Amino acid sequence: MNSPGISKQNESEAPPGGGGTTRSKVCLSVSSLSVHYRDFTAVSDISLDMPAGEITALVGPSGCGKSSFLHSLNRLTDLVPGCRVTGSIRLSDGTEVTHPKTDVLALRRRIGIVFQRPNPFPQSIRRNFDIPLKEHGWRKRDIADRMESALREVGLWNEVSDRLHKSAIALSGGQQQRLCIARALALEPETILFDEPCSALDPIASGVVEDLIHSLRGKLTVVIVTHNLAQARRIADRAAVFWVREGVGTMVEQGPCERVFTAPSDPDAALYLSGARG
Amino acid sequence: MALPNRTAKAVFPSVADRAFGFVGATAALLSFGLFAWIVWDLARLGLPQISWAYLTGEVQDAGRSGGIGPLLVSTLLILVCCLGLVIPLGTGCALWLSEFVRRGSLAARLVTGGVDLLASVPSIVFGLFGMVFFGQTLRMGFSIVSGGLTLACMILPILVRTTLSALEALPADLRPASAGLGLTRTTAIVKILLPAALPGIVVGITLGIGRALSETAALIFTSGYSIRWPESLDDSGRALSVHIYDLALNVANGSTMASASALVLLALILVVNSAAVALSEHWLRRRHATL
Repeated sequence: MNSPGISKQNESEAPPGGGGTTRSKVCLSVSSLSVHYRDFTAVSDISLDMPAGEITALVGPSGCGKSSFLHSLNRLTDLVPGCRVTGSIRLSDGTEVTHPKTDVLALRRRIGIVFQRPNPFPQSIRRNFDIPLKEHGWRKRDIADRMESALREVGLWNEVSDRLHKSAIALSGGQQQRLCIARALALEPETILFDEPCSALDPIASGVVEDLIHSLRGKLTVVIVTHNLAQARRIADRAAVFWVREGVGTMVEQGPCERVFTAPSDPDAALYLSGARG
Repeated sequence: MALPNRTAKAVFPSVADRAFGFVGATAALLSFGLFAWIVWDLARLGLPQISWAYLTGEVQDAGRSGGIGPLLVSTLLILVCCLGLVIPLGTGCALWLSEFVRRGSLAARLVTGGVDLLASVPSIVFGLFGMVFFGQTLRMGFSIVSGGLTLACMILPILVRTTLSALEALPADLRPASAGLGLTRTTAIVKILLPAALPGIVVGITLGIGRALSETAALIFTSGYSIRWPESLDDSGRALSVHIYDLALNVANGSTMASASALVLLALILVVNSAAVALSEHWLRRRHATL
């Protein structure tokens, strides 16, 4: 169908370092980014670097544009009629995400996304991997291996290996979400975006998914939107606080996670992070 | 310990509730009674006439004796022609409306409005249109294919509407899920949305088949009256419904045989319907297979 684009199997997932300690390489570099829906500006003038192999958490009250920002990173905003994105998002290899000529399908292979509500396709577990892997040019004989290692990575293999032909939507909510993460991982992305991945799950499933996201640290770049401040503090290397100023979402604070939580400079962010507001 | 008294009075203490329940039950009984009466009436006259020879034999004496073999074949061939056109056309139209244009846009409103208007056109008008367009303009004459295509136009709105609502009832997050994995729109539609909407589409096709099998007016001027065994799709062929109409109206003492044919038609529709329901239930069960 489409040509699967540039890098695929060979240039694989892990950024250099592997241990997650390197701060040298920036995976996603955003500058002066704004997202508009017709006359409405959801989020304005965001500049943020997301280092490779680290977990960046975006926090803030509802309606401050976190999700709009997140969806612009792999051009999912294209799906929304009337949505316009200005500014720049640069990948480590120099690809400009916002450029109209960018191969969006290849981009979304490199930058995967996991949504709030688990959304497996209403087909067998195996088909959930077959369809995207085939689309991006994996050969038939490699698909089963790719699926197995992705399912092992999310700790789901032992739970589902004997029922791969069964429906994915018969799984529990937490299992479905891990399946969606595995499905994104199977494409060997450089980055995965998480849009409140735990907020539709019960506390136990939420803990499992959180540990899973934490385990991705060092292997690929993670950007996570969450309403759970404690969760952000537990797993993130860096944090950015979004806020609404004069009806427009904006970023009021960013930096290493501990610094943002312990010594925020913005007064709104300080109140929000201490639990006094928001 | 004595159980509480579970009479109607105990379950529905309000008089109004009980009256409402009674009225509802009466209406339900009348509705079922109507169906039962029709079936009984047809069976009383028609059932004694039905035999293997009747189902496979040729029409004799304008239908007063003999069988309906060629008519059954013609009916099924007309249906095949009809479905061959209406399934791709209806599904394509619904897919375009659901996946490619914005809801409420001028183009979408024009197309849905047109399709809905088509649904309210009397079938005799489709018959006349089919005779002129397929029969004369496209030179198909009185033929099975001409009748089938006319029926396709007639049941198109049913298929478009049911397919459209099946697509719209799908979980909204299937689309961003597909896009987020870098799938093309085509892959998402062919491999994810259409399979998920299939049970709904089957319901639409079933309703359409029921309507097509029972149609008379649209077929009289298009597929015609011939009672010979059809040899190709270009042959004229009498549909079962046209045969019933002819026996009841034009053939003296034809009403017994009309009942027999009607009974066969009813059975045919029941078989097609239950097959379609069984099929879509099978798909649904497979999809929700418990682990």
